[in-house]
Amino acid sequence: MILVLLIISLFSCAKFEEIVREEDLLQRPEAKRCSDCHREIFEEWRNSRHAKAWISEHFRLESENYTKNKCLSCHAPHQVDPDKEPVLRAEFKEDGVGCVACHFKEETKAMHGPLKVWSPPHPSKQDLSYTKSNFCAGCHQETFKQWQAIKTQKSCQDCHMPSLGKKDLIQKFPFHFFHLSKPRHSHEFPALKAKPEDLKLEIKENKLYITNVGVPHNLPTADQGDPKLYITVIFDTPEGQQTIRKLLSAQAKTALEYGKPYEVELPQDFKNLKVLIHRRLSHSQEKELILEKGLN
Amino acid sequence: MKKVVLTVALFGIAFGADQIILKKPPASLGKYYPPQSNKFEFVGVMHEMSGAFYGIRLNINEGKWDKALEWANRLKDAYSRAQNMVPEWKQYYKPVLADQLVKAVQAKNTDQVLKISKELGETCQKCHADNQIAIKLVYHYPPFANLKMEDPVEFAQLSPKEYMRKTSDSMKALRIFLIQGDMPKAREAGEAFVERVRGTQAVCSKCHTDKASEQLIYNKAHEDALASIERLLKEPQPNREAIFRAMSVVGQACNRCHNTHLVPAMVQEAFRK
Repeated sequence: MILVLLIISLFSCAKFEEIVREEDLLQRPEAKRCSDCHREIFEEWRNSRHAKAWISEHFRLESENYTKNKCLSCHAPHQVDPDKEPVLRAEFKEDGVGCVACHFKEETKAMHGPLKVWSPPHPSKQDLSYTKSNFCAGCHQETFKQWQAIKTQKSCQDCHMPSLGKKDLIQKFPFHFFHLSKPRHSHEFPALKAKPEDLKLEIKENKLYITNVGVPHNLPTADQGDPKLYITVIFDTPEGQQTIRKLLSAQAKTALEYGKPYEVELPQDFKNLKVLIHRRLSHSQEKELILEKGLN
Repeated sequence: MKKVVLTVALFGIAFGADQIILKKPPASLGKYYPPQSNKFEFVGVMHEMSGAFYGIRLNINEGKWDKALEWANRLKDAYSRAQNMVPEWKQYYKPVLADQLVKAVQAKNTDQVLKISKELGETCQKCHADNQIAIKLVYHYPPFANLKMEDPVEFAQLSPKEYMRKTSDSMKALRIFLIQGDMPKAREAGEAFVERVRGTQAVCSKCHTDKASEQLIYNKAHEDALASIERLLKEPQPNREAIFRAMSVVGQACNRCHNTHLVPAMVQEAFRK
């Protein structure tokens, strides 16, 4: 009887949590530590640009070897909160926008996330701000403003943290047996490429109109990076083939704004018109084709 | 009387020259400036010395010789550290003077303090006269050589100098074709000019991350002028004078940026060659 009571008291929730609590998880560990349990999420994150936010060679060069102080805090934030520009983290900067930066809150000394979970190794708190675009707004300020102006229901997370269905949050034996699968969203944060159907092309009165009808922010968009969109219009005229090029750059404040037609002037007598649109991400030298379309 | 003289002696350090020769800064200085360091350690030691010099003067003038001695010792310490930071400049330093200054303050000998301060100040003055302008231009402005600009007309990656040349050529071509009355060519040059001017903004934001500084150049008047060039060129008979007026507004933005950045860029380029 005593033994039973002892076991019951030992394994009452609070006591059990105390025993299995892993204190170092509340000491702002590096991302690798989180992979002890959350292996799949860690692997997704490791493939993301968030994981490369600090160590990317492009960022090292652009920040002049990490001497441009203004750039640093979003590339290694201490704590990401909705609508708030973060401060620079002191430790494990090479993790970039890592697990702890987004999920650990100093105020509660707990891991926050969108799901209600019981996680004895560390306290957890359900926090629905993780499902809202404001969560990203502290760093992605310009893109957030563009998104906000459109008044769409689609959040940043809807596109850039796509659903993976129900999955286990942890992969550590034997603890994964105690967890039910939960709705999971990708931590790869894909920088999605616009689809051809996201861009509407129309010719009216010797003008080509290109309208972003599918992506609820500017194309291209960025706060400090400089992604680009290359519009090439090729057509025949009586004088021969002609090419018009337009370069849209986030930093030059030129873009395909959502719902606003971008105008390209054409000559009077053109035929066999072809439009090619490529994009180049800030950190990449590769130009990727978004659309190739003939219009007559 | 001596108070006044001491003030003059320490603050009489000034430039005066018929010609200024800029010397290429020594390589070892680079480690105290971005991109190698963002702590500006060398400037920090210069400020320490300048502050300590003033501390001596301030306290002697107030009759606080013990405090003046503390600052003299600080000056000696900073002077000694500074001479080891850039080996190529070691010849500018006379550490014995820093030592003598401490002794003069210790002895409360105002005449000696004045004499040695002047001699010590001259070692600073010589180094500043030889190097300060070049250092400011090379290390206190962004390294333009690393910048790449993408030409919106040809989709080519260019150096800022090549980009500016193309922008300037488009502007001249616009003016020439307008004067010659060749409107199709003027339209082509004008479109390229406007696209290239707009494209320059992409490079500014690499350093000017606050909107206020960008607004000094890319403000409403500037954007209105570009839009009006575009609009006027689309008319069947473009109003040449109106286009020239708009170009001069754009030119003011060019000047504002060039006045700040062109000289450092030229000096940096000269030292690279």
